[in-house]
Amino acid sequence: MFNNMKRVTSENVQEHLARYMEGNSTQEELRLLKEYFGNTKDLPAELRPYAQMFAVLEDKPQTPSVEALNRFAGGQVPARRQRVRLWPLVAAACIAAFAVIFLTPPKHEENMAIAYVDGKMITNQAQAMQMGQEALQEIFSNGSEEEQLTDLFNAK
Amino acid sequence: MNRTMFYRTITTIVVMMCVALCAFAQKGLCINDVFEGKVVLKNQMQESLIKGENLASYKLKVLHTARFTTHNNNREEVEKLFYEDMKSRLSDDDENMEMESRNGHLYYAIVQLTDSEKGAHRFICYQCKDNDRRYDITLVYMEGSASLADLRKTFKKK
Repeated sequence: MFNNMKRVTSENVQEHLARYMEGNSTQEELRLLKEYFGNTKDLPAELRPYAQMFAVLEDKPQTPSVEALNRFAGGQVPARRQRVRLWPLVAAACIAAFAVIFLTPPKHEENMAIAYVDGKMITNQAQAMQMGQEALQEIFSNGSEEEQLTDLFNAK
Repeated sequence: MNRTMFYRTITTIVVMMCVALCAFAQKGLCINDVFEGKVVLKNQMQESLIKGENLASYKLKVLHTARFTTHNNNREEVEKLFYEDMKSRLSDDDENMEMESRNGHLYYAIVQLTDSEKGAHRFICYQCKDNDRRYDITLVYMEGSASLADLRKTFKKK
């Protein structure tokens, strides 16, 4: 911020001008510059052109009128932008996706029998089947002895 | 309701259904962590994965087994995951579940879960045997039309 120069004086006017020329002046600083150049009568010769400049400077830049813009554009007013409605398209895409998911016939179950032993894949189906069966037999061989005897008895 | 509102409502409903379906499709079992090697490394287990016609005689479509020997912490982790999945059990009836605990830990369990969205019966099985301060664990996931009685008949050693 340019806090140290609240008022524009003959001592700091050059610094104010430098900031103005670099485009760093605030509206308030611009107002102070205009006030200084408007009220100071015995300006040095090198600053007088600035006084003329600030005398004609408006507080805000003028905005061009609609007519001026039209003239600049060669009298052609661009056509009104057409609004594209996305919702119908999104809805149609979703319905299409659903139709594909539900109307596509289900694939046949994939046949697979693989095993992993110590991180190595075994594609021998018989071996994989055997491993699966052994695991199941191990678990299903549990149960109370009474139940197993009942099963044996019923089997005979 | 104008046309724009109508389209927006339809689209919102469709998108919400999509999201719900995706979430349902991804719903998995906790013991998948074990099969995926997240509890015990894959190279430390024996795993078999069988699908399709190979299992037709057992009235099964999927059979996934994993066997490994591990320490107590992993045993507890597997047990915890199994108990978590047991919350989806079909019922506590003997015809849908058998289970035995020893010394405060699950020794073995065969549990029928609620059916899959395609109507297939689902089962999870667990067995843990003490092996000199380590534990031999067998974990199984099955899916198919077989009942627990069918599976008992097929796999119980006589």
